[in-house]
Amino acid sequence: MWSYQAIERVGFAIRLFWDSFYWLIIGRRYQQKIRLRQVVEQVRVNGFDALPIVMTLAFVVGMMLSIQLLYALSDFGAESQVLLAIAKSVTREFSPLITGVIVAGRSGAAIAARIGSQVVSQEVDALKVIGIVPVRYLVLPPLLGLMISMPLLVVSADVMAIFGGAIFSVSKLDMSISAYMVESFNVLIVGDVMQGLIKSVVFGVIIVLVGATTGFHVTGGAEGVGKATTSAVVISISFIVLADMIASYFLTQ
Amino acid sequence: MTPDFIQFDKSDQQTTLFISGEVDLSNSAELRKTILGALKTTDSVKVNLSGVDYIDSSGIAAMVEGLQFANSNGKKFSLTAPSQQVNSILRLARLDQVFDIE
Amino acid sequence: MTTDNHTPETVISVKQLVTHYGMRKILDGVDMDVKRGEIRVIMGGSGSGKSTLLWHILGLYEPTKGEIELLGQNIHQINFNDNLKLKQNIGVSFQSGALFSSMTVGENVALPLREFTDLDENTIRIISRMKLEVVNLGGFHKLMPAQLSGGMIKRAALARAIVMDPKLLFFDEPSAGLDPVVASEIDDLILSLRDTMGMSMVVVTHELDSAFKIADKITVLDNGKNLITGTVEEIQQSDNKRVMDLLQRRSRHDKLNPSEYLKRLTQENYTLS
Repeated sequence: MWSYQAIERVGFAIRLFWDSFYWLIIGRRYQQKIRLRQVVEQVRVNGFDALPIVMTLAFVVGMMLSIQLLYALSDFGAESQVLLAIAKSVTREFSPLITGVIVAGRSGAAIAARIGSQVVSQEVDALKVIGIVPVRYLVLPPLLGLMISMPLLVVSADVMAIFGGAIFSVSKLDMSISAYMVESFNVLIVGDVMQGLIKSVVFGVIIVLVGATTGFHVTGGAEGVGKATTSAVVISISFIVLADMIASYFLTQ
Repeated sequence: MTPDFIQFDKSDQQTTLFISGEVDLSNSAELRKTILGALKTTDSVKVNLSGVDYIDSSGIAAMVEGLQFANSNGKKFSLTAPSQQVNSILRLARLDQVFDIE
Repeated sequence: MTTDNHTPETVISVKQLVTHYGMRKILDGVDMDVKRGEIRVIMGGSGSGKSTLLWHILGLYEPTKGEIELLGQNIHQINFNDNLKLKQNIGVSFQSGALFSSMTVGENVALPLREFTDLDENTIRIISRMKLEVVNLGGFHKLMPAQLSGGMIKRAALARAIVMDPKLLFFDEPSAGLDPVVASEIDDLILSLRDTMGMSMVVVTHELDSAFKIADKITVLDNGKNLITGTVEEIQQSDNKRVMDLLQRRSRHDKLNPSEYLKRLTQENYTLS
């Protein structure tokens, strides 16, 4: 029973994804225009407003990485490699993962709560009888919003994490902070950054689809909305970690 | 060019618009343009509604906008001979107390 | 009255509607015809299927069997654009109001106009505020739904429902949860909308006073079946036991069966027979 429902939900999420782009492309012909204003608003709420927390945590993780890596690499007398290790691991792995987890907690929960409460209060039914396709109105704007803002968040997280690494490492490496930063950007290749960006877009899609799917399936009033919010966060973080592993495997081939 | 559901009777001081048939979403924008255009060229505009079979909210809104434009520009705007349907719609939104109806 | 000749005489036609929820049959062959300009009230106890019938007519649920025609169009065989046009001729007032909580009252009312017409922004503003005047909410357009009382929410929802001048208007429990004065105001509004705009209406309610006041005809559903359809007088004079139950003409004033009553109070597993 449980697994049957899980498969049904995955199918529902895939339908949401498909329908979103269907209405994005042909919506104009059926008076289902996507409003630019709604998308911009979503970029602001889900992207811009998340910048402080994403940048702060990325900075801390960068410092943490440099502490651990300096300790581990000193056994081999390879402290100088810490710059390369941080730059690569941050751009390929840590930035997208941290960003994904934070955004899942912020936006995934918000999307589930918003859609869930609109289901409970019959607002979704009201949209339908007015003639507005709910997916176009409720799912497409956050979907586009996160697909745009996740890469932007990850780029800022990259910079901040490397900067955090620099703060702790420069004294051991006998470098200036600016020299460390420049050198970090030099050792990075396009593929490193691209891997993080591709992952971040995938994570953004996962967050919106999981949030919307749990939201649309809310039953049982306000309490149901609370439950959906919690499970949206847990499920989307689980899928993010899983997708991260799969993406890492294929993108490092 | 005047849409065919509106007939003009224009003198120097006054324009009378004779509306006929149905006014709905498909043609109310033209009614709005015609009313505002007439108010720009003459000091007094009368809208004769005797031939109106049906008018929807967008048609009423066009006349509300005409009245607002006339009032703020020191001009006169009035309705004449509204049919029963028009009258009852005006009364529903209490607009019969706002318009100058002859 | 609208003199629109395109509107057919029968504006809502439900034929042999059957629907299930899981294994349970909710509607079991319901027929209903509503004429132009008619106010039809649907009554029935909870679980009778009256709300379900409404959701089906609005196309929110798919039936197992049966046909529904609105304004002469079969809603299950209609293409997307025709369906969109049909929806603009339909207004719905939900039980909870279902106002969009992130928008002001004015934006709520204006939404259908913004989405589906090319009207000038001035015109849209005038129309939506005119509708708020009709429901006696003049000047309230800037408030958020959360700032409104229950009766005001229902009236704002009604303003949104009539903003496109629909031919069909549907109400789900319009007076539930309102005090008698406000409820009777809503009833008066329903009547005056029918009389001035010539709208046809379907009202799902369990409030007897309201039903008797506004209905041209009443359909009573029981266990998913159409128990009786008739005028207010016909319903009031019906000697059908279930109808009388519904009208609460018995129960409290009937003779009490002492042993049955005692069972109700004391038996742990007592259920109504």
